[in-house]
Amino acid sequence: MFTSNPFADLTVFLPPLAMQIYIVLMIFAVIIGTLFDMLHKSSAKFFAWQLKKSKAAATRKLSGADTASIAIKTIAIEVATSGEFCNQKRRISHMLMFYGFLFYLITTIVMIFGYPTQAIPTPVFLPILWNIGVLMILIGGYWFFFFLRVNVAHDGQPLFRLVLADLFIVSLLSSVTFAFIWEIVQAVGNLMATKVTFGIYIFCTTLLFGSVRWSKLAHMFYKPVVAFQRRLEEATGSSSLPTPSTHNKRN
Amino acid sequence: MGLFTRRKTVVVDSDILVIGGGMAGCGATYESRYWGRDLKIVCVEKAHIDRSGAVAQGLYAINTYMGMQWGENQPEDHVRYARNDLMGLVREDLGYDIARHVDSTVHKFEEWGLPIMIDPETGQYQREGKWQIMIHGESYKPIVAEAARKAATKVYNRIMVTHLLMDKTKANRVAGAVGFNVRTGDFYVFRAKAVIVAAGGASHIYKPRAVGEGMGRTWYAPWSSASAYALPILAGAKMMQMENRIVLTRFKDGYGPVGAYFLHLKTYTENAYGDEYESKWYNHTKELVGDYIDKLPVPTCLRNHAILEEIKAGRGPIRMVTKEAFQDPHKETVGWENFLGMTIGQAVVWASQNIDPKHTNPELTTSEPYVMGSHATCSGAWASGPEDCAPSEYQWGYNRMMTIDGLFGAGDTIGGAAHKFSSGSFAEGRIAAKAAVNYVSDMGKDQPMVSETECEDLKKTIFQPMENYAVGRNEIVAGTVSPSYILPIQGLQRLEQIMDEYVGGISANYITNEPLLTRGLELLDMLNEDLNCLGAEDLHQLQRAWELRHRTIASECVTQHTMFRTETRWPGYYYRADHPKLDDTDWHCFTLSQYDKDSRKWDMEKVPVHHIID
Amino acid sequence: MPTFVYMSQCDGCGECVDICPSDIMHIDPTHRRAYNIEPNFCWECYSCVKACPQNAIDVRGYADFAPLGHSVRVLREEAKNTISWKIKFRDGREKNFESPIRTTPWGSIKSPSDYEVPNQNAFKTQELAHEPESLNIKELPKLTPNKPKQGIV
Repeated sequence: MFTSNPFADLTVFLPPLAMQIYIVLMIFAVIIGTLFDMLHKSSAKFFAWQLKKSKAAATRKLSGADTASIAIKTIAIEVATSGEFCNQKRRISHMLMFYGFLFYLITTIVMIFGYPTQAIPTPVFLPILWNIGVLMILIGGYWFFFFLRVNVAHDGQPLFRLVLADLFIVSLLSSVTFAFIWEIVQAVGNLMATKVTFGIYIFCTTLLFGSVRWSKLAHMFYKPVVAFQRRLEEATGSSSLPTPSTHNKRN
Repeated sequence: MGLFTRRKTVVVDSDILVIGGGMAGCGATYESRYWGRDLKIVCVEKAHIDRSGAVAQGLYAINTYMGMQWGENQPEDHVRYARNDLMGLVREDLGYDIARHVDSTVHKFEEWGLPIMIDPETGQYQREGKWQIMIHGESYKPIVAEAARKAATKVYNRIMVTHLLMDKTKANRVAGAVGFNVRTGDFYVFRAKAVIVAAGGASHIYKPRAVGEGMGRTWYAPWSSASAYALPILAGAKMMQMENRIVLTRFKDGYGPVGAYFLHLKTYTENAYGDEYESKWYNHTKELVGDYIDKLPVPTCLRNHAILEEIKAGRGPIRMVTKEAFQDPHKETVGWENFLGMTIGQAVVWASQNIDPKHTNPELTTSEPYVMGSHATCSGAWASGPEDCAPSEYQWGYNRMMTIDGLFGAGDTIGGAAHKFSSGSFAEGRIAAKAAVNYVSDMGKDQPMVSETECEDLKKTIFQPMENYAVGRNEIVAGTVSPSYILPIQGLQRLEQIMDEYVGGISANYITNEPLLTRGLELLDMLNEDLNCLGAEDLHQLQRAWELRHRTIASECVTQHTMFRTETRWPGYYYRADHPKLDDTDWHCFTLSQYDKDSRKWDMEKVPVHHIID
Repeated sequence: MPTFVYMSQCDGCGECVDICPSDIMHIDPTHRRAYNIEPNFCWECYSCVKACPQNAIDVRGYADFAPLGHSVRVLREEAKNTISWKIKFRDGREKNFESPIRTTPWGSIKSPSDYEVPNQNAFKTQELAHEPESLNIKELPKLTPNKPKQGIV
């Protein structure tokens, strides 16, 4: 069940070209959604303005090498290990979802474009990695949804009162949950059930990528930029924060 | 509440319930554990104990420290000082009691980790003034809260206590309290053998000077919602000196503290033209208050009075002369750190307006009135005094017990003990706690019981504003204007305007008279009725609604007392224009009130002031 | 001076929600990050500012009386037991301060239960816990007034 390419098995009722076109459409949706979000909210103008302010307030100059090393640090810490989260549980849950999503997304694209039908046998590691990705997302995501959402855990909001901020996590979880359900149902063999669960999966996935403008997906791109800018500010002395105390750790 | 969920009730049993986790509450919690090793000690706080109360941002000085170990002061000296400052009217027994215990409290603070500045020459605590020592107190509250957390059986954060519960088996005895969880909306019933009220005094009962965002920059914490008074008032406890509101002269807009400036930096004030003005008003003030003007240091209210007169004469604003002092780098550092450790907002104001005291003498202003019990003022509940020195009229049972059995108080809650400040409030919490432990052990098997029906009724009452909003909201399209409910902020603004215009607020130059007070009571009565129509959209608004309820009943008490005392005892705090002079013949006494919540009647009486210190 | 939260720096951890004495720091429903819901009840106590692990909270002076362009920022370093402030005036002048906040490790206070149990006689005296030792004088002052002066009633 978990070792066969679920997308290849779709060809029973769906031509492979359909999924390939769908992938391309979703990529476009994310790009257009992010661009639209940036334009509509003037985010690009805002970042440019911030950069200008930092440069003006800078008291130290940075060499190209320094800047590059900061960029690498940002990628290594903020991007690779979700370093922006100070709460360890959130950090772990986010990493589970982030890397899970990477595995899931990349293997999906490889399977749909590289192994579109049952004609070419799919190497078994691909669907296994796909399922690992799916599981990581589900574990990290449901953990986050039920236990780690700050508006519920700290602000007293009821568990199932959904707000706009939940759009991303709900569409992600519903999409990936139905990916999993569809895979199982399809393996069991009932065609009608397969079509229905697959249909819901596609619906939720479209919602996920189509709602970039309103969800937090665009922050995937903003956050590393901001983290980079912050480190730059610290290094160039343009931060308005006091410098850390030079006292040795007392006690 | 969801469609399918019922509001949960949580019942918490304890031997001693401490209401409020501020300085007094933390002191009470700590001491309760010391004497009651096996007792269940519960502390309940509407915010978070680590930063709750007036000391949230820290303090730069401890204003009540005798220094007995170095022969600096004796407790009776402090009693004389507080008595003078309050124009003769303080509970000398309570003041003596706090003064003799405060030193050990401060020494414990130091042991726990509070950085107290040391005078390099003497090796003793760095004095700011005769009673004050200087501290690096940014973490004063978290340190003290740690001591309380180690002592308590449990600390409940984010639970607002709204009412006390009375014993259904014995008249006039407390049995606990009720409240609600500000995060979850759960109803809480605290059943206790003894209750120590250590809640906050009254800020935001008078219209503040700034009315936009600036409303938040009250001198006293905006979360001091008069629960210290409302809880005992509604339970029928006697209150004292509620007319004794305080007005403070502080730095303009930020209300930043001036103590370190006057005492340590040795700055002084002048009028807009650079002239000294206080001496100009000596004769005039003497006509009003007689020999009290000759006390040294000059009573706080009389210093205010001189400022008010000078401003009325058109020679304001009054400024603090800092240019000289700030040339000294050490003094400049103290001048700024004074704010950073205590009233950061003042630093923000000066930074925003480019005010550097090295080059500018900053403006001072007089604040709107506040009612509290731990500063240069002593409003609060009438409490029994220490067994060894309280006159018999001031003693009817356990130390710091109010006129309700088992109901103790500390800090702002207790009246008559002026100038206790943070350390004195903590010490008073300790005093009340030891007494409460004794009360509980003496009680034996005869324990109070709460009434289930009363709890059910209170549950409905507490959450009524949410019901009002949910139902009433259907009437209008949107917005804040409804004919059927008022929002807590609307009620608060109305309360503040009534008090401001009729009970001696800033727009009235702190002046009132009987016709104004009578009208004020009428308007307060209508407001009280309208509070049944409070509409709370969510739990945060519900907290605001109950804070308003507490503020309103406290304000009614303040107005009744102000009406009752037909003299002007504290010019500079407020004036009875129809009785403009101090009258020691008829009014060298305390005013006491007792409220009956069913008949809405206030019973006023005079009680003699016993001077036990010469 | 009410607080505000920098969008790009807040990671929605909830520390400010937990600590605010005024109950005004809450989570925005669109971004799931913190914001000040009631600036007119903000005392600018800086509790949230100090508690934020990301330094994502700052203060802008009350609009009633504070012109723009100022900055008062803080770094509270509990491990070092210090607090540092950077004040920037509207005209660009800067002042920096650093102070100690505690002289002992966090969590090191001795619980009152760890002291010897007071003996029965001690309960009915005026002495509080650790007295008279912690008064640093021989004994607790006491009064025995014989004839208190009466005020006029």
